Amino acid sequence: MRLKFSPRLIPAVVVALIVAFVVHSNWGSASVTGQTIATFLVVGIALGGVYAISAAGLVVTYATTGIFNFAQAAIGCFLAFCYWQLTVQWGLPTLVAIAITLLVIAPAIGIALDRVIMRRLRDAALVVQLMVTVGLMLTFMGITLTIWSPKSPRSVPHFFEDTKGVQIGDVIATWHRIITVAIALLVAVALRFLLYRTRLGISMRAVVDSRSLAGLTGAKSSVISGASWSLGCMTAGLAGILIAPETGLVVENLALVIVVAAAAAAIAQLKSLPMVFVGGLIIGLSEGFSSVYLNFGTDWNYAPQAIPCVILFIALLFLPQARLETGKVRLTKRTERLTKPWEAALGGGVMIVLVGAWANGWIPWFSGTTFGERSAVWLGRGVGFLIFGLIMLSLVPLIGWAGQVSFANFAIAGIGAVLFSHFGGQNGSPVGILIVMLVCAPLGLLIALPALRLKGLYLALATLAFAEFTDKVIVRHPNMIDPSATGVLFKPLDIFGVHISSDAADRKAFVIFLIVTFAILFFMLELMRRSRWARRWIAMSDSPAASATIGINLTTTKMAVFMLSGAMAGFAGCMLGLSQGALRVDSFPMFVGLPLVLLLAVQGVRYPVAAFMGLLGLASFPALSEVMGNPSWLTQVSLIGPGIAAVAMAYRPEGAVFYSGRDLAGLLPWRADAREEKALLDQRTRDQDIGRDEINDLGISRAFTREKVAQLDRVLSISDAVDEHPMVVSTGVTK
Amino acid sequence: MRFGVLQAVSQASIEVHAGRVTGLIGPNGAGKTTCFNVITGLQEPTSGKVLLEGVDITGKSPSKRARLGIARTFQKLEVFGSLSARENIMVAAEQRKSWDKSGFDPRKVTDEILEKVGIADVSEFMVGTLPTGTARLVELARALATNPRLLLLDEASSGLTEEETEEMAALLRRLVADDGLGILLVEHDMSFVMGICEYIYVLDFGRVIATGTPAEVQANPTVQAAYLGTDATEEAS
Repeated sequence: MRLKFSPRLIPAVVVALIVAFVVHSNWGSASVTGQTIATFLVVGIALGGVYAISAAGLVVTYATTGIFNFAQAAIGCFLAFCYWQLTVQWGLPTLVAIAITLLVIAPAIGIALDRVIMRRLRDAALVVQLMVTVGLMLTFMGITLTIWSPKSPRSVPHFFEDTKGVQIGDVIATWHRIITVAIALLVAVALRFLLYRTRLGISMRAVVDSRSLAGLTGAKSSVISGASWSLGCMTAGLAGILIAPETGLVVENLALVIVVAAAAAAIAQLKSLPMVFVGGLIIGLSEGFSSVYLNFGTDWNYAPQAIPCVILFIALLFLPQARLETGKVRLTKRTERLTKPWEAALGGGVMIVLVGAWANGWIPWFSGTTFGERSAVWLGRGVGFLIFGLIMLSLVPLIGWAGQVSFANFAIAGIGAVLFSHFGGQNGSPVGILIVMLVCAPLGLLIALPALRLKGLYLALATLAFAEFTDKVIVRHPNMIDPSATGVLFKPLDIFGVHISSDAADRKAFVIFLIVTFAILFFMLELMRRSRWARRWIAMSDSPAASATIGINLTTTKMAVFMLSGAMAGFAGCMLGLSQGALRVDSFPMFVGLPLVLLLAVQGVRYPVAAFMGLLGLASFPALSEVMGNPSWLTQVSLIGPGIAAVAMAYRPEGAVFYSGRDLAGLLPWRADAREEKALLDQRTRDQDIGRDEINDLGISRAFTREKVAQLDRVLSISDAVDEHPMVVSTGVTK
Repeated sequence: MRFGVLQAVSQASIEVHAGRVTGLIGPNGAGKTTCFNVITGLQEPTSGKVLLEGVDITGKSPSKRARLGIARTFQKLEVFGSLSARENIMVAAEQRKSWDKSGFDPRKVTDEILEKVGIADVSEFMVGTLPTGTARLVELARALATNPRLLLLDEASSGLTEEETEEMAALLRRLVADDGLGILLVEHDMSFVMGICEYIYVLDFGRVIATGTPAEVQANPTVQAAYLGTDATEEAS
């Protein structure tokens, strides 16, 4: 008999050894007794149950609609606050409050999301799908923060808080935990029943297998997607209500459950419900184990919070390689012409002149500014916006061209800032910047490595986990950022005798330096877009299968773009450190990086100029605020801004730069080609419209609607029976 | 020169010879595209081998196989929609640089192929905006830019007008006669297949049910049964 040797055995052993080492070297004072084991099991199973509930909703929504809902936990957070409002604030009985929250509010949110946004995303690019749900996540967080101010602390009581619980051996399991486990089991059984024993559930599963075939059998896709979004929101709310007493009713904590749910969902390969529950348990038990037995000491104080991130990474290592799929290419009717080098140079020049003039105070800036002088406060803000612009710029080749959706660049910049404080920053050496860039380039690669062979969504998850890991573990180690250090860590950077630093007197030079580097990088990216590298990245993004069959090695091609993007983020990181002067351990939360990606995507992730528009967008809020005398509603608008952006993306997936660029290009005197091309394209689109001639022959001048189809049927004397299969008609013809 | 393929859809052995067009036909779901995927490495066969000029290339990655001279087009378009037609071809020609050290200029090769395939006048358009028929030509041109020895065409004529189909047939004949390419063609347009192929394999349920010259295949009763569906009448009754 031949011994079967799995290729995954080696990484499995390595991971097991590392885990064993970490456990061994951080073993706390607790000894393994029946009592501690029971404690860890009770804690772990209860936590695992909650995670599984949230992840199950995530998987059901993903499997039936193809959209991974990053807003899942944020919606759960919002619903947990609703529940708090109903019970604690308004004094409704617990069960009534739960019923209202989960059976009224949650489905309403789900159906609204499905109607307004999600249906439009079915065939959208991954970037758009992800950005929309990320936007929603930030929105639900924003709405919650707006309605329930974080200044007054709240707490959700445990179920049966006053009772003692059940004695299991020497350990008391609270009723809340017992109920949690029971509910998790109930959810598992209910989902199983729903998906296998009800008509709706069977249709939902049919959609997973083949959307078009499911349509042919008469399953209504609108009902199915509405139901799965409602189901997703209900599980999210349930998880939120169950976990809120444990984590505290705090927006960030509850929204972060998304990382855990994503890890459990990844273990389940985003499809298997039983594995979701296994995944939830693995994470819950790991956290329980760590809380009972391990003591990471002060240096790694926050390490337990990163357990889900680590498990997500490990899960990614063991997922089977994604097949190169064909037949998934989306062709958008998008004309664009490559920017000519001189146009790019002109654009960069305009940026420098604009920002330079602003920094010198030559552009009048609202109330209280005198001509020729810009306030230090505003110069400081300008520095910040430009650095965010640099981070957005680093995302253009990565996300826009190569289609690799990464949320990690702000975290990389954070690490860059920390590294710069150790290498070069402390004595104002520009060489340090180079060192940091050289370190950050492979760092970008390292994060992507486990996800390179998987489909794009997993990369997004991995980078999200890394961003969280960076915030919670890497920068919190005292060797990275010394929390006891006071004062400015960075010496001013000396560029040809000009000092650049966070110091008020150096800020104008800082702004000028940043806009010049920004413009240079912009120009270089525009040149690069015309190079074989960009062509290869775009080809890989448009059709991985076709790229492979013309000889492109997808792995090395991806690696190259991650290194470029990582290096650019590293540079932005140096600037970030320099601008902050003193680094604080809580400077790089994951939630700061997300709006940057969103903002870029809204502007048009393919275009370098979108990074500039994005930073103007960032600047517009404080600017407006100053003009209007700091109205509080503007803050609220800025909190739900991501949601507006999300909706905008669903309707305008190519980004603002593209749509405005298409219209504006014709206005430029030298762009006769843009005017001609637009006319030509309009003609072409008209010619190509499916069935246009037939429609004309029949005397119907507009595109198909259901009524028109009925009319057509009458003209063609097809019986009314067609009405019974509306799906066939709408998928076949209206598209 | 001979390309041998043993394919495990279930049992199908297909040989493609250089300098001629071989046809692969069969009803929907017969396994034609799977067969293409196995030859180009997008899918691994559970058993069976892919031989290129006698060398076993089973298990090699798609990009390695491209280097060895296999190129293909796809049934459902797999063009690079956000690149111009010229860039689509250029990216393949540039890639060829990494293994073909004959010192050619990718730009020149691109221009030649644009001319050869007859899409020079749309070369600056983004492929996403082109009609399907033209986009198919871009795909063919892109495949040619890798300078293949074996070219797999999946439904090359679908979406083409009658006129374009004739041009396509003429082009394929030139490629075979002048450049000595081996072409394997999956096609539903029977007059196109019968007109251009020298040898035809008929696939049904993953098995080769008939082989031979166009005339032989057309006369084969098994083929007629597979296409017309003998048991379709039974089901209806």
